[in-house]
Amino acid sequence: MNGTPRGLNRFLLVLTGLLLLALGAALAVLVAVPSVARWWQQWAGPQVQWLGELAARTRLAPGSGSWIWLVVAACLLVVVVSMVTWVANQGKGRTNILFQRDGTDDDAAVGKVALSSAVAEQSLKAALLERGDLTGVSVTSYDFRGQACVRVRVLPRQGVAPQEVAADIGSLVDALDALLGLQVPVLVSIGSGARSRFTKAERVR
Amino acid sequence: MSELTPRILKRETHSSRARLSVVAAILMTLLAVYGLLEAILRAVGQPPWLIDPLAFAQRLAGLPEGIEPMLLGAIGVLLLLVGLIFLAYAVLPGRRARHIIPDPRIAIVVDDEVIASALAKRARLAAGVTREQVMVVVSARAVQVNVRPTSGIRLEESHIRAAVEAELAAMALEPAPEVTVKLSGSGVVGV
Repeated sequence: MNGTPRGLNRFLLVLTGLLLLALGAALAVLVAVPSVARWWQQWAGPQVQWLGELAARTRLAPGSGSWIWLVVAACLLVVVVSMVTWVANQGKGRTNILFQRDGTDDDAAVGKVALSSAVAEQSLKAALLERGDLTGVSVTSYDFRGQACVRVRVLPRQGVAPQEVAADIGSLVDALDALLGLQVPVLVSIGSGARSRFTKAERVR
Repeated sequence: MSELTPRILKRETHSSRARLSVVAAILMTLLAVYGLLEAILRAVGQPPWLIDPLAFAQRLAGLPEGIEPMLLGAIGVLLLLVGLIFLAYAVLPGRRARHIIPDPRIAIVVDDEVIASALAKRARLAAGVTREQVMVVVSARAVQVNVRPTSGIRLEESHIRAAVEAELAAMALEPAPEVTVKLSGSGVVGV
């Protein structure tokens, strides 16, 4: 429920896949079919020659290169920047504000009320950390389509019934709703971490 | 329940493909940075680092001459396979090993591992065996409980199945898996 652009990821992966597929198929065909290889050499040879002539014609100064290499460099720079942007967009979307409302003039309360995400995060986390059957608790808030959502990740010990953990978190969330006076979307993700996997937890119960 | 909940659940039960995207982006960035270096070296009239862009274009146009045909074919097939892998990751749904517990207020997802360990505990208590004798495999629509009985003690399969099914019914998972219990033919000694 973070802001990872999933549709974009899949689209760009399709593009990358198709590009590699086409390149690989072209190389394989070039080796396997001699007529295609002849056609490729006849077609590509003059193109490269034209490119070389263009580069020679467009020299900036004697002894230095042509400006078409600067154009190529600019295009590659655009590629680099867009790739870095793509990576930077993965997994973002954390938010600090759980709820925000401007006062209206007619109720004579001019100003703004903002609840920090820490309200929900710390109260849920403090309540869950008291439990002995959880080895890990993390509560984070994300901005999901303009709406703040709380994500609770708990790692129960081995053998703990997930529905009981979920029901307890549900009652905590109900108490939080009553406290805040609004219902924030809450995701509870019950998983198993390395620590709950390798500890023998059943001795005590 | 907010109208966002179905979307949140869909996102949590499917892979975001973030990792492969990062790999693809880093590969493209490295290639582009190298090309950038060579293009700028050429533009300022410096000698190339590895290969001059124009010479590279000439080599490319001269293919398949100038390179071992087997090597070129191998590179082609390798690129083809990598492309297929990328395409498969992009197109396949990428379900994660998770189940949903329906709830009117909150969205709940449970990793299959947690379900398996809870069911294993229940099956172990029902069968009266140790931890090591029970193995549970949970997939989207099936739960397989493998029990190795202790030598000389007969186990009721229906009893274990009833216990596991009762636990699954209490979980109310979505999608609901089918239970199969397999008692191993040979028992274990000394537990």
